[in-house]
Parts: sequence; structure tokens; C-alpha cells
Amino acid sequence: MPAPLEPAPFNVPQPYLTTLENGLKVVILSDGRLPLVSYRLAFLAGDAADPAEQIGLTSAMASMLTEGTAKYSSRELAEKIERLGASLSANASEDFLVIAGSSLSIYGSDVLQLIAEITFRATFPESELDLYKRNTIENLKFQRSQPSFLSNEQVARILYGEHPYSHISPTADDIERLSRETLTDFYSSRLLPNNAIFIAVGDIDKDELLAEINEQFGSWQSGDVATNPVATPPTRDERSLTIVDRPGSAQSNIVLANLAFERNSPDYFAAIVMNQILGAGASSRVFMNLREEKGYTYGAYTRLDAKRLAGDFEATAEVRTAVTGDSLREFFYELERIRTDLVSDEELADAKNFLTGVFPIRAETQEGLTNLIVNQQLYELADDYLQTYRDNIEAVTREDVQTVANKYIHPDRFAIVVVGDAQDVLAQAREFANRIDIFDTEGRKMDIGTFEEDPNSEVAVVNGTWKLALDFQGQRVPVTLTLDQKDEKISGKIETVLGGGEIQDGSVKGKKISATAITEIQGQSVDFVITGVVDGDSMSGTLSTAIIPESLSFEGKRVD
Amino acid sequence: MSETFQLAPLEIEEYSLNNGLRVILNRDEAVPVVAVAVYYNVGSRNEREGRTGFAHLFEHMMFQGSENVKKAEHFQFIMKAGGTMNGTTSSERTNYFETLPASQLPLALWLESDRMRSLAVTQENLDNQREAVKEEKRLRYDNQPYGQIFDLINEMIFRNFANSHSTIGSMEHLDDATVEDVQEFFRIYYAPNNAVLAISGSFDPATAKQLVETYFGDIPSQPAPAELDVSEPIEVAQTYREWEDKLAPFPAFLIGWKIPKRRSPEFNALYLAGKLLYDGESSRLYQKLVKGDESVIQLFGFTDERRGPSSIFVGAIPKPDKDLSRIRDIIMTEIGHVATDGPTADEMQKLHNQLINDAVRMRQSSMTRAQQIAEFALYDGDPKLINNDLDELLAVTPEQIRSVVQKFLNTENRALLDVVPAAKNSHADATGETTAH
Repeated sequence: MPAPLEPAPFNVPQPYLTTLENGLKVVILSDGRLPLVSYRLAFLAGDAADPAEQIGLTSAMASMLTEGTAKYSSRELAEKIERLGASLSANASEDFLVIAGSSLSIYGSDVLQLIAEITFRATFPESELDLYKRNTIENLKFQRSQPSFLSNEQVARILYGEHPYSHISPTADDIERLSRETLTDFYSSRLLPNNAIFIAVGDIDKDELLAEINEQFGSWQSGDVATNPVATPPTRDERSLTIVDRPGSAQSNIVLANLAFERNSPDYFAAIVMNQILGAGASSRVFMNLREEKGYTYGAYTRLDAKRLAGDFEATAEVRTAVTGDSLREFFYELERIRTDLVSDEELADAKNFLTGVFPIRAETQEGLTNLIVNQQLYELADDYLQTYRDNIEAVTREDVQTVANKYIHPDRFAIVVVGDAQDVLAQAREFANRIDIFDTEGRKMDIGTFEEDPNSEVAVVNGTWKLALDFQGQRVPVTLTLDQKDEKISGKIETVLGGGEIQDGSVKGKKISATAITEIQGQSVDFVITGVVDGDSMSGTLSTAIIPESLSFEGKRVD
Repeated sequence: MSETFQLAPLEIEEYSLNNGLRVILNRDEAVPVVAVAVYYNVGSRNEREGRTGFAHLFEHMMFQGSENVKKAEHFQFIMKAGGTMNGTTSSERTNYFETLPASQLPLALWLESDRMRSLAVTQENLDNQREAVKEEKRLRYDNQPYGQIFDLINEMIFRNFANSHSTIGSMEHLDDATVEDVQEFFRIYYAPNNAVLAISGSFDPATAKQLVETYFGDIPSQPAPAELDVSEPIEVAQTYREWEDKLAPFPAFLIGWKIPKRRSPEFNALYLAGKLLYDGESSRLYQKLVKGDESVIQLFGFTDERRGPSSIFVGAIPKPDKDLSRIRDIIMTEIGHVATDGPTADEMQKLHNQLINDAVRMRQSSMTRAQQIAEFALYDGDPKLINNDLDELLAVTPEQIRSVVQKFLNTENRALLDVVPAAKNSHADATGETTAH
């Protein structure tokens, strides 16, 4: 491996800072590399500032800002922006509402005027609001089909309780309840200069821009910044297991989570170095263990989500259902190990090299540089945060890593959330927690008893020949199973129209049967994995095989 | 203003090593970062029948180790040096690229040269990557709603096997790939004379040249691969297909047309026509369907650029219970309007500003520059085209746009793919799809 060349210094320049009389903070960084400008008007109030009775209001307001103003209809606004080759958008996150505009620098003044137009003169037309509601509700339906949405929803609910971060999304009812009047009131009371920062990066003449900012935003009236009382997230004193039953899941989505720290914590640097070693990337410990060594998953990671008011630590993986319990075991092994043992010098150096090395790559584009400055400003990080970032990473020691691991990773108090087939997940994961809850995909609590395997139940008798019909893309394909049972073990044969083979690894537990058959189909060895439920002389279940992407359902009868 | 806009040309130096490797240097000292991109002149279009998916499987093998780099080490070397990397495969080419702190240029060149010289191919690695590719196919295509529709419509648009088959390939063909196939593919296509190496960002040109010579200079060249025939009959037979998608929550459709090759005057005009039809919230179809008619959840369209016959698509996911044929009629009516009247002056101004904006933004990142330059070098034999590309597009006239829309889009000569959510359709036949018309 060749030695590197002389390292080149990289300095993030300090932006110019000022505050208008009405309290609007202004941050300007001239960057004349290319004839481009990026503007952000950011408000220090995001979704977390939604009134409790109207979740989703801030996001709706943000989306509606570009859907009509006193001067322009939604369409005229889109045409005006795109005719300049520019972009203009408004989005809310948990902590902030950000209006973003960017363009060729020759059109900077036009974009600035349009930012002012939507900030002061948005009209929230009924027809556009109606369209927003209907599209958002359709989108929510789609999200509920995604396992990651379901796990995030539970994690937020469990960790944050009454704290505003507990909602990751409004409900359809919340959206239906939105009215033009509520939006207009919220708009006029919440968008205040003394709760906002204007950030400009690019090919800019500072004095000219300041004059324009004063012209557009100087007469904006300051006001009282409303602050909702923020509830403290619940204190956790034990581990819990929450299962979201998603029948037919081929995978379990696993999240292990606990509260950690807010974004401007002094532990931030040690914690991101720790997280880099533990699970941030494809050379980190949990990835190397669960994917590279064990082959349980396509990817296993840990992450730190540090927000303005609070934050959390999460370990996540999507694993084959059959290894849900084994995956949890490996996660616990790694999450304990980072707490008990010092990391190696090499691991520490590699993590630091990565974090300091990618920093200038992130700052290469104007959008990237702007985002760095926006985060520094909005999270109220130190004035020299970007200039000292790499030094702060370099200063982290092995001991620091162990300290933050102990401070922010609490395996004994984890909220474990698994989205998958509840019965399989429960059997494998129940040993990891005393407190267990099961929900359906709509968020309704379910009776855990429905998913229990009764250890006293009699083992079903499955001996005999079974004629089954497999549903293959709407067609019924005949399959014959001949089973020979000895207590909980089964052996036998499978025959299909394509070929057949021997059952190698079969068992019966209560009424549940599972077996792997190795068959020869067109000269190739193919594994069939069969799981079913026996009820007298009837059996139903699923069959999966590597040659067909999805598992196929079957049902049938014992014939002798 | 757009007519007078002058973008400073990129500094480009181009030369070849004795073994035929084409090297392009683009120095830009703005940030101490360097990007290296290696483009091999091989993509899925070079695959033979019975081996679909092989070019992409091979791309995975390039991360499985070489003489001095063990399996999976490539990735770790880059990360530990503070860099990012990847590889991708398209119909046209296979590329490998990394961005690193400027001081790590030797590492990037060493890593790329080691696998160009001495790829290690074992049965175990092939079996392992075959499984990884199958997982990728499941994750990104088979297990995604609408994940297979672009592969399906390509089969409807193109007649030549080189163009019509999918890059991800079939499970059966992936199973059939052998170690000998990998070794032969490597010998034929992964020779220095079949590749372009682009370096962009902060570096000293003399040092870079010396490093390139040191690491790549002694890799032997190979006989040039056989010429590939990608020609197509111009017309697409009118084709219709209904595809049952088990994962799709809503019905959808996709319309595709066969069009001339990338960078031809006709392609350029169609690219602009596409932008004004479907690109952005002020585009004609967005305003008609998402806004005016409120019949569509999602509207999309794009051009697929190829060195040979290419294609353009428009698709939509309508709201539940909307009449799909009515939405298609609206699309064809709007295409008819462009074919008759051409774009408006406002639309031309919008296109020009967007083209300039895109061209300027593209120049910001070392990696994007390296990739664009490598692509022009590989496809057109001239990396400096990156400095003319914008002018070529700005020169397209409204009349050219009108006439290509009339000739290529306002015609029955198109492919239509209807996506039916499986649960909603009880009339499908056993294979899960039907063909009509």
C-alpha cells in the first residue's frame, strides 16, 4: 500500500454575521468558485412545535407556502422559479422549518424576492389545501406498508412518551382536521424574524446582499416567540420488547434503542467516533459481525440521532426471520463489548481518519457547504465549530470512546422493537425482555396470547400422505408430502411437478410443522423451506425457495 | 441573457500510456479532494445470450481481491483513508470510482491498477458474489413495487438482444456463470486499452502522471474486443403488455418510445422536449395531471441515453379509481400540442436557464466532473466535449423540438406497459402477465 502525499490544509472560511434590528440573524459566506448562490431562511421551530391538538400543522404550512401567494398562483410560482432555472422549497423537520432557494448568481435577487413573497404573502388556497390533504393521506397509506416506518413509529412512541419527538408523522385524522384558518393563524404568528436565521452562501457581494436583505426583510415585525411546554421523555428502568405483527414478513426489522443526547452535547465528538467504530459503516463492528461473519443480513448499523431537544441511539438490522433471536444475541454481544473493553488503537485511528477525511468532501459543493453552515447555526454550535471539527475528532481517546459508550448505550434498558411475523419473533425474542407488547400495523395493541406457543399442547400427528395445492402466481400447483413422524421429528419426501427430494430437517411443535427439503430440479439442487399449521387432516402454510423471490402459500388435506 | 452566458472551460489534459490506457487529467484546486474514475468499455450490451446479468456480476468480482488487495480490503482501504467509493454497471459501461483527500491519490491509483492487472477469481468468491447479486436483485427489483417495469418495457421497445435485455439479468443466467466466464471477460474487456482513467480535483499534474505510469504502465494490453452491433429497426412495433405486480399498491402505466442515439441533434431535441413535458412542477404534464386534473399521485419521465438507439419514457401512478386511458389521452394530446405548435418562448427561456444551472452545478464536485469527462472520452473519444455540451443543447431551436416530437413521439409507434396490482386483478393468466393488441 503506497504512502500518502503531503496532506493539504483545508480551511472553512468564517462567515460574516450580523443581526437586523428586528432580530433576524444574517450569516453570509462569499464563495466565488462558481456563479451560484444558495439561500436559506430557517425558523427555529419545526414539527416539535406543533400544537398538541394539531399534529402535522408545521409540515403542512411548509408545504403550502409554495402553493399560492397574494401575487402568484401555485402554477405561476412554479413557472417563475423554473423559468430562472432556480429552485425554491420549504420543508419542516422536527426542529426547524427551512425555506431554501438556489440559483445562478445573476438570479439571486429574483430568488430572494420570491423567498420574501412566500414568507409574507402565502394565501393557503382552499383548493390547494384540499389537494395537499388527499395526496398526503394516500402517501400515509403507502408508508404503513413499509416496515421501517412501523418500527420508527414504535421507537419514537416508546422512547419519547409525551415529548413532541414521539410523533414521526401525523395521522389521516390529523390531516383531515387541517383548515385554512388554522394554517393562516399559525403562519402569521409563527414566522417571526426574531426566531429566524437567514443564511447565504455563494458568489455574493456582501454589501449588496445586505442591502437587499434589509429591503426585503428589514420591516418584518418581531413578535413573541410561542413556546410549547415540552414534556420530559419517560425514564426507563427495564428492557422491553415491542413486536409489530406484519404477517407474511420474510424479514424481521430489528431496532434496539435508548435515549442519548441532544445535538450540542459536549460528548458529540467522542460519541460519533464511538459510533463509527461500532456501527456507522460497512467496516464497523456490527456490520462485520452480523453481515460479513454471520450472513444474517444485507446490512447492520448503529446510529446516533442527536436533535435540538433530545436524541437517541439505535442499532438496526433487517434479518431473515429465522435468525431474529441470533441477531439480537450478536447485537447484545457487540453493544456490551464496546462498553466493557477499550477499542484498539487501530480502530480508533481508522474511525478518525474516515471522519476527518470525508469532511472536505462534504464541503466540496455549495449545497454541501451550505448545509454544514446551516447545521452549525441552527443547532447553535460553537462559532468555530467547522474550523475545529477535525481537531475535535483527533482529540478523542480510547478512554473517551469507552466513557461515552457507557454513558449512552444501555443494553439493560433498551427498547427492542421488531417488525415481522409476531409468532416467530415472539418465540425467538421473548427471552430478551420481561415486558412484551404486540401491535398490529395500524398501531392497535394485540393480545399476546394469540401468538404464544403453548408448551403443554399436544404434538400434532402428521404421519401420512398430504396432497397440497401451492398458489404460484394464481395457478394451483400440486405438491405431495409423505411424512414419517417420530415424536417431534419428521422425515419423508416431497414431490412436485418439477421434481422432488428428501426432507432433511423437519420438526413438529404443537400444531406447527417446519421442514427443509433438498430437491433436484432440472439437474440442480434446490432447497424448499416449508412451514405450516396442521389442524386434523388439514394443513396450510408457506413454501419458500431461492429460485422464486417470494414465499408461496399452500393448503391441502391428508389423503391416507 | 442565456445566449451570452459563458462558462469558463474546464482545464483538461489528455494522453495515452503505451499499453493504450487513456488518461484524462482535470485539475481544480478549490478543495483538497481528488476523484479517480475508471471506465471500462463494457456493459450489459456486451453480454452474450445465456449470460444476462454477467457484466454486473463481474463488477462485484472487482471488489473480491487482487494480487495485493485481499477480499473486501478495497473498501476498507478507502474508508480508512477518509474516502468514499463505488462501482456501477449500465448497458453502456462499467465504472469504478473513489473520492479521497488529495494526499491519497497514490492509494486510489494503486488500488485501481492492482485489480486491472491481477484480479483474483475463485469459485468461492464467485459463488458468494452470485448470492449477493441475487439478494440485490430481490431487494431492488423483484421485491420493490414497480421494480421491474423498466426492464420489461426495454424488452418491448428494443429488438436487438444487446439493447433489450436487462442489466440485472436473470437468476438462471447468474447461476450459469462460471469461473472461466469471469476470467475470459476480464481478459477481453478489462484490459488497459479498453478503459479510460479520469482524475479530477486537487493534484500536481507531473506527480499524477508519474504515479499513473508507475502503477498502470506495465499492465499488458489485449487485442481489442470485437465490434458490437447495437443497430435497431427504427420503428417500435406497437406493443402492449399488462404486468401483474404483487407489491404495487396502485395501478400504474409506462409509455416508452425508441429514439436516436445520445448527443445526436434529434436526441438533444427530444431530451429538451422531455424536460418541458414532465420535468418539474411547471412542466406541462405536471400542471395538467397532478394539478389541473388531480388524477395522478406521481408523474415521471426520463430519457435513457445510449451510444446506440436510446429511449424516452413517461409514466404515472394515478389515484385509485382514475381512468388510466383518459390520463394517457391527456398525455398524447399534450404531445400533439407540442408537435403542432412547438415550445413557447417562456418554455425556451426556462430550458436555457435550467441547462446553464445544471451545467454549473455539475462542475462543483470532483467526482461528477471525473465521471462526465470519462464518459465523453469513452463514448465520443473526446473528453473536451464537456466544454461544448452546454452550447450544443443551447443551440437546439423550438422548431427542432417541435419536429422531433412530431416525428418520434406523436405516433402510434410506442410501447405501453400497464401495471396491475396483483390483488386487484383476478383475470390474469397463470404466468402473471398477459399480452394483447
